[in-house]
Amino acid sequence: MRLVTGLALGAILAAGALSGALSQTRDAAGRPIPGAAPTTAPTAAGAAAPTRGATPEQIAARRAAALAARQQRGGQVDWQAAVGGLRQSTGIAEKLAPNLNQAAVDATRVPILLPTDTDLTAGARIYSFGDYYTITADAPGVGISLSGTTTVVPLPAGTPLKITPMGPEGATVQRTVDGQLVSFVRYGVLYTVEVRCDAPTDPRCADDNYVMGLAAKTTAVVMGAAARAAAGLGG
Amino acid sequence: MRKSSLLALAPLALMAALALSACDDKTKPPAPLAGEVKTPASPEPSAPTPEDAPSDGGAEQTPSEPIPPAPGPPVQPDTPPSPSPATFDHGAPGAIPAGQGHGYLDRTVWAPAMCWPLQDAAFANSQVYGHGGGMGPGGTAQCDTVNYSLPWHDTFCEARSRDNPLCAGGGTGHQGQDIRPGSCKKNLHWAVAAEKGVVTDIGSYSVTVVSSAAPHRTYRYLHMQMAALAVKEGDTVVAGQKLGKVANDFGGTPTTIHLHFEMRAGVSGVTTDGKAVVLHTFLPPYMSLAEAYQRKLNGGSCS
Repeated sequence: MRLVTGLALGAILAAGALSGALSQTRDAAGRPIPGAAPTTAPTAAGAAAPTRGATPEQIAARRAAALAARQQRGGQVDWQAAVGGLRQSTGIAEKLAPNLNQAAVDATRVPILLPTDTDLTAGARIYSFGDYYTITADAPGVGISLSGTTTVVPLPAGTPLKITPMGPEGATVQRTVDGQLVSFVRYGVLYTVEVRCDAPTDPRCADDNYVMGLAAKTTAVVMGAAARAAAGLGG
Repeated sequence: MRKSSLLALAPLALMAALALSACDDKTKPPAPLAGEVKTPASPEPSAPTPEDAPSDGGAEQTPSEPIPPAPGPPVQPDTPPSPSPATFDHGAPGAIPAGQGHGYLDRTVWAPAMCWPLQDAAFANSQVYGHGGGMGPGGTAQCDTVNYSLPWHDTFCEARSRDNPLCAGGGTGHQGQDIRPGSCKKNLHWAVAAEKGVVTDIGSYSVTVVSSAAPHRTYRYLHMQMAALAVKEGDTVVAGQKLGKVANDFGGTPTTIHLHFEMRAGVSGVTTDGKAVVLHTFLPPYMSLAEAYQRKLNGGSCS
């Protein structure tokens, strides 16, 4: 099971191989930090280094460095890659979430990711702030959140994080009080997949197999009017 | 073991790649139509009693999962922390007693305009290591007056088994701040929205509010009286708006009477082995809470 979910997660990590940078770095109050130090960038040169023959860890480090460097420059969503994902989702995404609030979808300025699981997405609700969205869905005994944002805050330099990013999308897994939380970067957007269980002993939250499986099938791309306009596809 | 096994799968992934004043009573605005309400799992609330006898013990921590030992002191910051304008009696951020975790020494006020998330005065301290807690002094009860007295104590990165990448040691620790309400009575004291935002999820013992303003901090409120919340999923809330009453809901097994207050956001940082990383994770709320509380004491606005 672990091998299967690992392979599946690897596949989705690979699918986002063109992911770029988060659009901006902000301070704790949410204000952009002009020329903020790239707290995440080990080296700028590493970002441009070729990936051939590199280990997954090296690739991840280079991609994260590139991401941080683009943050510093005020980079944007990697729309070229996102449009590629959108085209691969043609005919799929429409069936996944026919009941999502279209106004909220249209207001979202980042590519929306959905899991290819109609049982989960049929009753999903979306809440959007433009540069951030979250989709809430339910399954028996478990709540699920799928979020995307282009806004991050830099942590204090000199306080290293005790976590291991995996794969080219820098995926991380955290166990929360009531579930599991996966984060990864694709198309220059920070995405999260979170599950919360009603019962603390629910096996879907006791380990990360379920949330990783869910992240692995969160591949369908949806773009509303704002995202399409930003991608150059017209409203 | 989990992360190491995941790390071991990284090559497989590559293969696949190749392939307070504002906190006063506020009436709830009309709920928008958007959103669907999940049915709360908790039972009907009982009337609060002066000597409610809740189940004492460790919350957010199942008995089968041992708390990792954390014998060392907190890591010292590179630069001396700046003074806080909060003058009420409160312990320093990250000051976790020996043996109770590493703490996280950070004076960053991550939510500088945040509203104090309770309507009334309250006491931030450990409900696991405090009186009546599962790891607290033997023979004590949660309603002991020491738990309802100043000073405040930071509980972010207190020793717990759940992940928290900001915590020194093994990267596990408390993911938020535990806050006891003004008295040891459940279903009485209101928790309120810390910022303007939207209620994006209601779980069996959690309420999630996402701030409408960048960086869209996520606030999680745990252990409220879930059967009698003042909000539902999809509601737009303003700072200071009532969400629900502090209780001890924790799925099927009650915890101590307290609010677990959690603040999250997308963050960028660097791992212990020098790798850049971007993720959604927990921010230490203690200083934001302390300053919000001081503003409330000063009669200031939080909106």
